Amino acid sequence: MLWYILKRLLASVGTLLVVLAITFFLMNAVPGSPFITEKSTPEQIAAANAKYGLDKPLIVQFKNYLVSYCHGDFGVSLKMQEGTPVTDILFHQGKFQLSIKLGLIALLVAVIIGIPLGCIAAYNRGTWLDGFLRVVTTIGVAIPGFVLATLLLVTFAVKLQWLPTISGSLDSFNVYVMPIVSLSFYYVCYLSKLTRTSMLDAINQDYIRTARAKGVTTKSIVIKHALRNSLIPVITYIGPVIAGIITGSFVVESTFSVPGLGKYFVQSVLARDYTVIMATTFVLSALVIFMNLVVDIAYKIVDPRITLSSRED
Amino acid sequence: MEDNKKLIEIKDLKVSFFTPAGEVKAVDGISYELGYNEVMGVVGESGSGKSVEAYSIIGLLQNPGKVTGGSITFEGEDLLAYTPEQMRQFRGNKVSMIFQNPMTCLNPVYTIGNQLMEALTVHDDKITKEEARARAIEMLEKVGINNAEKRINQYPHEFSGGMRQRAMIAMALICRPKLLIADEPTTALDVSIQAQILELMKELQKKENTSIIFITHNLGVVAEICDKVSVMYAGRIVEQAGVEELFYNPQHPYTKGLLASQPRLDEEEPERLIPIEGTPIDLLNPPTGCNFGPRCKNCMKICLTKKPPYADLGDGHISACWLHFKDLKGKKEE
Amino acid sequence: MKETFAKISPFQVDPKELEEAFGLDDNSFDAANDIEKESMVEMHKSVSYWADAWRRFKSNHVSMVALGVFIICMLFAFAGPKFVPYNYADQLRNAQKLGPMEYSKQEQQVKLIEGKCKAFYATALRPGSITALEKGDYVIKKGGKTYAFTLDKVAENVIIMYKPVGIEEELVIVRMKDIAKDGSFSEYETIQYTDTAAKGAEQLKLVKNVFPHLFGTDSQGRDSMVRTMFGARVSIIIGIIAALIVLLIGSIYGSISGLAGGPVDFVMMRIVELIYSIPEVLVVLLLQVVLKDPLQAWFDSSKSAFVKGLSDLGAGIVSIFITFALLYWVTMARIVRGQVLQLKKQEYVTAANALGASNGRIIKRHLLPNCVGQLVITTCLQIPSAIFLESFLSFLGMGVSAPMASLGSLCSDALQTISLFPYRLIFPAIILTVIVLSLNLVGDGLRDSLDPRLKK
Repeated sequence: MLWYILKRLLASVGTLLVVLAITFFLMNAVPGSPFITEKSTPEQIAAANAKYGLDKPLIVQFKNYLVSYCHGDFGVSLKMQEGTPVTDILFHQGKFQLSIKLGLIALLVAVIIGIPLGCIAAYNRGTWLDGFLRVVTTIGVAIPGFVLATLLLVTFAVKLQWLPTISGSLDSFNVYVMPIVSLSFYYVCYLSKLTRTSMLDAINQDYIRTARAKGVTTKSIVIKHALRNSLIPVITYIGPVIAGIITGSFVVESTFSVPGLGKYFVQSVLARDYTVIMATTFVLSALVIFMNLVVDIAYKIVDPRITLSSRED
Repeated sequence: MEDNKKLIEIKDLKVSFFTPAGEVKAVDGISYELGYNEVMGVVGESGSGKSVEAYSIIGLLQNPGKVTGGSITFEGEDLLAYTPEQMRQFRGNKVSMIFQNPMTCLNPVYTIGNQLMEALTVHDDKITKEEARARAIEMLEKVGINNAEKRINQYPHEFSGGMRQRAMIAMALICRPKLLIADEPTTALDVSIQAQILELMKELQKKENTSIIFITHNLGVVAEICDKVSVMYAGRIVEQAGVEELFYNPQHPYTKGLLASQPRLDEEEPERLIPIEGTPIDLLNPPTGCNFGPRCKNCMKICLTKKPPYADLGDGHISACWLHFKDLKGKKEE
Repeated sequence: MKETFAKISPFQVDPKELEEAFGLDDNSFDAANDIEKESMVEMHKSVSYWADAWRRFKSNHVSMVALGVFIICMLFAFAGPKFVPYNYADQLRNAQKLGPMEYSKQEQQVKLIEGKCKAFYATALRPGSITALEKGDYVIKKGGKTYAFTLDKVAENVIIMYKPVGIEEELVIVRMKDIAKDGSFSEYETIQYTDTAAKGAEQLKLVKNVFPHLFGTDSQGRDSMVRTMFGARVSIIIGIIAALIVLLIGSIYGSISGLAGGPVDFVMMRIVELIYSIPEVLVVLLLQVVLKDPLQAWFDSSKSAFVKGLSDLGAGIVSIFITFALLYWVTMARIVRGQVLQLKKQEYVTAANALGASNGRIIKRHLLPNCVGQLVITTCLQIPSAIFLESFLSFLGMGVSAPMASLGSLCSDALQTISLFPYRLIFPAIILTVIVLSLNLVGDGLRDSLDPRLKK
């Protein structure tokens, strides 16, 4: 178990390095620099480049990034909040916490509502309830997140004025309702569809027939025998769901003006604020990769067929 | 004879599958009876309806399968009239079943012990966990699993194929059922393991006084374990007889063909194996005459249009073939 | 013992009874010949894989409806603009911010004369900031006849009409301000025309009526419906091309990896795993920004027809394709590799190998045709996900750039004025959802019909 986790951790660090390298070299491939404005002279730009070490060879710059990241130093913002340490921007201004809070709640909602819905649909296969859920989930996975977000915004915040837009206070729970609904709705539908298929798949397995032959009640067959087996493939999809929720946060945070990490990342890319791009990419990738690791381990725990000590995976 | 008391009696059972392409008569009017402590083999090629018939006894027919006629009487009670809850109580308790592929028939995410104990607890609310566990260990030992105390906490994937089938048998017999339906229990196993499992079943059958319906396509296995044999073809029983009678005096052309296509170890000069030519009929469009007609070497004009009646050849030997009536023609003229 | 079923003992039965019960006759026990035996069996027609798959697909009503809806969407996107006299880039003067079915003041005025003449030309319906005709030569072709005329002065806000006066037909020019509320007008000028067009004369197209703005117009006075049509067109093209790119790269990579096996396969699959674990959207966003300028520079410098075609699509769209080519083929590669490994074990591939067929030939002749079902399904389901990604990027302001439109950019544009003009979001959003939904359903139907093993 420990060996497996260590191995996976190592691989994760590798992936993270690759992501950072890709980001860094892509970023530097962009013509232009964070210091070009309409008024700036070549001298000013050169001076600014020198100040932040952007005149050094790329490989040296990249090494410097890695070294300072190892010390927990993300550098200072070059443009958006010039001179402010990126660590302050991301963590002390509450962006990271806000995004994590939104993301985790959305994930929880997706899992807690999506999976049981899938079970209910599978259990009532062929009834009107199943039909209804199928229609809703099929449409649900065809609605882009930003469409839902904007529709919610117009309906509940602008027209009906039931819910506040987030630009107001961040303390009230109501503020989070719409962002969380728009973030999680797609994944509620997605997981529900997946669970239904996987559940029906499990119900057709030979061991379910065995259980029926033993005289196990239908309820117990679904809850004990089918559910756990059907969750195994569902768990493997939680990884992409997490990545998707982070992606979705870019749109949702932009739509609801949530001052979170996703919105900030998009802005930093558009503004070419190198240090902020690198730091946000690092934080978000680390998050996704770490969550994938957690999901993988959870997978191995649910499925006893996979032994953690051996190297097969 | 006290053996004559019937455990289960099936009369003119008909089972159909209602597929989008039409009605498939998987079982088309079969009848037999089985006494206490008796082992009957059901032999036939795949698609002959032998498993479907077994599933309808234990109430495991899945959609779109439906019993469309006939009756199943178990110890005087009509099984087809049972409510689903009664049927559930009945399953595993009075009749249990083991299946072909032990690799997929055990739930991979629960321990063997858990699954064995479940079979007990679903039929007995009062049993304590310890009692169930003790009984599970006892059963595992009975089916020849060493180290049962430890094995009971293992998962199915830690068992070999033969071991899993032993565990399946233990699970099936844990409630001391009166009837065990074994659906090709040895087909998926290695030959050497097959022999062991058969030996075990024979032994347990004697010990536990269980009747067995043994479904297989392997006549050799039938000779090994059964008291009597039903041969099925395309949803019908074509021949039924005691095991010795069937092997030494087969009457139906299909049975003869089956026997000729199986290797026999008891003959000094092994004969050439003769396959039965042709393919099984399409159950969606069964012929109006004898189902075996198209493949039968002795096919006659009457076989093309009329299904043959059962010919009673005495001593419980019956065979559905017009050939048995051929000689009557001569008699009539006398 | 009770008789459990009808049994007849051939030794005891009365032959006559048997004869009567079964209608036997003298020939009944004669041997049947082979032809008679064969006639007993009704064999199924053997159907080809594709015919069978099509039959299954046709019987799936949901997928058939979805296919129909998708075809309607395609017609909307590709044929639709032909029936609308506006263009996605046309900015109609005085027609900004119209609601669905609303007309601008000028258009209303022009509408008044509808039906009063057979055809007309109104400067108010011209796109752009000029609603006037310059001095110069013009030509109108109508009913096989050519009317050529010259305007000596700038004609502002006028309608040129093809009007029967008595039995003669003449061409008249009317000032819009002369048109009364009921559409009648008393002051007009007859235009003198000849039937030979002057060189370089501008052709004017007569119209019969003012085409309504079904979806309204945007803040620049562009017709929303035509923009939605173009947006849908762009989205569908992006989806299909991206899916084809993924199909091409993924199947080549996957089949090479699966066929080669050994260390090559190992290395190739580690690369796939690495790409798979990269949070791709972060990289995609960067790529969008990175690629835009260099691509534009390349478009401007190169002269080849291919590059010209690409530049018509715009840098944003091309960089979406590049993104797909770089990052999104991994799933396809995995599927193909899995199929190849499965097929590799089968005899006919071994046989081909033994006969000395080259790997390339094996891929082409044996492996690909056998996994074509899987490929079709995955490709079909790739289209909506590409459309999703494009709309997502456009929504964040990184995909296609104005005046080009995609469904995502239309939604994004609508967001700024969402509280005033919600319909600007709703129309493209509904079209987007319908396209994705129908493609998803068609994909599901294809999976059920092409891969019956998966069907429960």
